[in-house]
Amino acid sequence: MEKKVEKYDVVIIGGGAAGLTAGIYCGRARLKTLLIEKSLVGGLATYTNEIENYPGFPEGATGLGLMELFHKQAKKFGVTFKLTDVKSVNLEGETKIVETFRTTYEAKAVIVASGGKPRLTGAKGEDGFLYDKGISFCATCDAAANTGKTVLVVGSGDAAIEEGMFLTKFADKVIVSVLHDTGKMDCNEIAKAQAMSNPKMEFIWNTVVHEFAGEERLNAVILKNLKTEELIPVKVDSCFLFIGYLPNTDIFKGMLDMNRGGYLITNEKMETNIEGVFAAGDVRDKFLKQVATAVGDGAIAGYSVEKYIAESETFHSQIMRSDMPGMVYVWNAVDPKCRELLPLIEKYEAALVGKVRVTRVDVYKSAGIATRLGVTQVPCIVTIKDGKIDRVITDNICDEEIAAAVE
Amino acid sequence: MAKEVTLDCMGEACPVPLIKTENALKKLTVGDMLIVQIDHSCAMKNVPEWARKEGHNVEIEEVDDGEWEIFIEKTK
Repeated sequence: MEKKVEKYDVVIIGGGAAGLTAGIYCGRARLKTLLIEKSLVGGLATYTNEIENYPGFPEGATGLGLMELFHKQAKKFGVTFKLTDVKSVNLEGETKIVETFRTTYEAKAVIVASGGKPRLTGAKGEDGFLYDKGISFCATCDAAANTGKTVLVVGSGDAAIEEGMFLTKFADKVIVSVLHDTGKMDCNEIAKAQAMSNPKMEFIWNTVVHEFAGEERLNAVILKNLKTEELIPVKVDSCFLFIGYLPNTDIFKGMLDMNRGGYLITNEKMETNIEGVFAAGDVRDKFLKQVATAVGDGAIAGYSVEKYIAESETFHSQIMRSDMPGMVYVWNAVDPKCRELLPLIEKYEAALVGKVRVTRVDVYKSAGIATRLGVTQVPCIVTIKDGKIDRVITDNICDEEIAAAVE
Repeated sequence: MAKEVTLDCMGEACPVPLIKTENALKKLTVGDMLIVQIDHSCAMKNVPEWARKEGHNVEIEEVDDGEWEIFIEKTK
């Protein structure tokens, strides 16, 4: 079947808190915005029953309810939603390509907000008990529901042990399945010492999950000792998995810079290593993954896209034109040397009307256009001929030099 | 030549759309597209979930408020 081609200003990949917020900002900036979500709008937050730390909701909110509000707000600003999987992307070059199985989307900018998911054990029966059926990934979310109960924690990293200790405030007994030999854990030493002396905590060493068992709900986890192959059934009311997090970045491998864990690396403007491609939310290498921080990322990414697209337009429609030669003065408003040259530039602006298009680019506001022109040092004069860079003058900018350059 | 088949499940509650989808897809060949029309939000969850699990290509389009079309391309 022939693929449709559709053009957008920006394509956002992922419809969680970060993507939806980016959508709100892009939509409100009147960009033609498409958001692609592979399953249901709302992302990981929708698996959380109660969100009590998202500001503005003193009574708390359900994850689903909160995300529905985000969704509604993005729709209000004209964001188009497509519920399907992104099959592949081509992000190099000025036009970014995002492919789904039915359509090829062309965009000026892309925001990756594809999030991640908690890593699973892959053990038998796991699928049937995820989230509200007994396997949880968030002690903060589900600890209170385990008051007076027995829970199993899988993992021994900082998250596992710290969340495990938090669980002892509610549960009667917290059993920890540790992969390593007796006394060895992946967490920091302080947490380890505290956990080992916590009377409610119990450790089963050298074990991995062999099977999750139960009927409607999980009621037992069968562990397997890796050394002896012995199977150890543990009766539990809930199981918490803290064995890592997997960012959804497979389709960006070899394209976007990522850290060892596969998280995308960005700067504070949410820019990735490819111009016009931004990342926001849990998919980023960041310190704290929360709805509140995803919202911050999304806002910045949306704003950055708007600036990036405006800059692209200036660059093409004003600077790199072939109908008339151009002269660009790249300067920094806070630099006295740059300001001194302004009267001279103004003189040429007036003298060259109708002959040479003169543009001033202030790098103090944004370095984007200067970067596109390959300019790293200011003040600088770039002349454009036939839509291409002709000459670059950085030293000794004076009347004679300019006159010669615009000849 | 791949064909497109439309399956009307308007006004039908779960699990009817899912069962109809499973049966309709059985009759199609690889590369064909099944378009399931639904207006029940629970079908909007379980039909795509099932189709994805089976490994087919899925896209949901909201055609009107509370009305959806689920595009399923048979892949195997």
